[in-house]
Amino acid sequence: MATGEPYAVEALQVSKRFGAQRALDGVTLRVRRGEVYGILGPNGAGKTTLIRSLVGLIVPDGGTVAVLGRRMPSLDILARVGYMTQQAALYPDLSAAENVRFFAEIYGADGGVREALEFVDLWDRRDSVVSNLSGGMRTRCSLACALVHKPDLLLLDEPTVGVDPQLRVQLWDRFQRMAREGAAILVSSHVMDEAERCDRLGLIRFGRLLAEGTVAELKRSAGVERLEDAFLKLSESSAA
Amino acid sequence: MSRRRVAAITRRLLQQFRRDRRTLALLFFAPLVILALLGYLLRGGGSVPTMGVANLDTGPLGGVVASQLERSNTVSATNMSQADAETKLHNGDLAGYVVLPPDFSAQAQQARVVAPDVRLEGSQPGLSGSILQAVSQSFTALASTAGVHFEPRVTYLYGGPNFDTLDYFGAAFVGLVVFFLVFVITAVAFLRERGQGTLERLMASPLRRPEIVLGYMLGFTVLALIQSAEVLAFSLLVLHVHNSGNVALIFILEALMAIAAVNLGIFLSMFARTEFQAVQFIPLVIVPQILLAGIIFPVSTEPRLLQVLSHVLPLTYAVEGMRNIMIKGADLGWSSLQLDFGVVLGFAVLVILAGATTLRRRIA
Repeated sequence: MATGEPYAVEALQVSKRFGAQRALDGVTLRVRRGEVYGILGPNGAGKTTLIRSLVGLIVPDGGTVAVLGRRMPSLDILARVGYMTQQAALYPDLSAAENVRFFAEIYGADGGVREALEFVDLWDRRDSVVSNLSGGMRTRCSLACALVHKPDLLLLDEPTVGVDPQLRVQLWDRFQRMAREGAAILVSSHVMDEAERCDRLGLIRFGRLLAEGTVAELKRSAGVERLEDAFLKLSESSAA
Repeated sequence: MSRRRVAAITRRLLQQFRRDRRTLALLFFAPLVILALLGYLLRGGGSVPTMGVANLDTGPLGGVVASQLERSNTVSATNMSQADAETKLHNGDLAGYVVLPPDFSAQAQQARVVAPDVRLEGSQPGLSGSILQAVSQSFTALASTAGVHFEPRVTYLYGGPNFDTLDYFGAAFVGLVVFFLVFVITAVAFLRERGQGTLERLMASPLRRPEIVLGYMLGFTVLALIQSAEVLAFSLLVLHVHNSGNVALIFILEALMAIAAVNLGIFLSMFARTEFQAVQFIPLVIVPQILLAGIIFPVSTEPRLLQVLSHVLPLTYAVEGMRNIMIKGADLGWSSLQLDFGVVLGFAVLVILAGATTLRRRIA
């Protein structure tokens, strides 16, 4: 693309149906490099479907998806994308380090295993077999697998589910650090206090993007103090 | 012990199966398929072993024995020359033949001994047994009237008098054990990859489909080759299964079957959602093949219709190839072994392609 990657993610009017159910209904969304973009919405709102359509796991019925300036699906561009699924997708019989090394090799990264494991505070447990790790540790290991190749775009599907509050704070510090270093991060969540830490937010419900903006902008347009209230108010007004 | 709690478990189990239509279908459909197949195999008017009778007797008794054999319903006997019979034995058209020598009647009347030459193909102990039995029965009528001893001189084209059922089954099982175990292990491993979510991750990575298939294939082939070597060594060195062929050739055929099994596992796992469903392929895919591939019942004795089916199954050729090598000592110069290798190789290539194309980027 001649414009040199203006957006890390550019989804235009993306729609997807599963049978009679509309999972995505004309979602348009742009994520710049260097920002943490949060997709906020209740369960079943279409968050996972949106993220999966960005990595080519779902082919939209309508609309287009471009990632890092390239129309998806494109295998080459996937080498620059990190994807962390909702469940910690790991090989339970391998150690933490072996899991991370495997994904490093798949993504063509040289090394970086130690760095990734240190990033998620798992270097000390690197030789532990994943099935012996706690749920929170598995989530962190899964995150290490998603970022070992230093992706330009990191897609995180509810990355902090089951993670204790202290670690959650640490992880968010790290997401913001990665964004400052130039990566784009798109993270889905249904937890409001996490959403406060995103540079921009998109509210999604019934497969539609209801509102978009910074936390302050969203509160202002809803005329409320708390993000939670803003979310409720904005989803009501658009449903009406 | 609470009746209510026990009943809750029972009811929950039945509710689960009501949703799992596929398992239900298997539960009630698969046994009928397998039993029907078995019934048809055993009662479907299968053919009996074919044998030749070369009656050179100058006296009257040879003719009596020959017509007795031709009337037998346990073998299908035809009168022919000895040279003809030997050629047909080599072609696999005959399971054996009996030669009634020129002095047959004279010997029986004077020396009170009948000593026909019985020549057996020998690779299938079941068929050999039927022929020996039919021949001896055809002489019992004779013996009771004339009171003569029956002392056949039996020679074998393949194998020998010590060739037993294990030698016959062993040759087939060397390949089959590897084929089935590798198939099940690959299918389950692939479904685990899907169940634990790592397949989704791989699909969202720059990996190409052929890379996944090839990687899987190589990984499991390493295991399968070690297993093949172990099975072969155990069969030959510990069980002393008869082998007249080249061990390297057996190993190559085994390896081809293993590679085919890996890819069949990948391919069929696309049609299962859980490991449980993958295991269900065993009664549906594997048991009928065991019945029809000539492992237990020789293909030549099956009912005509099933023979057609057997000749479509690649496993039939794998089994025949193993027996060709181990029992008959075939090498790649034999056209029958070339066919066996060709079919197994073609099957391997076919399932590799099928595995690679069904592995969709979209995972439901």
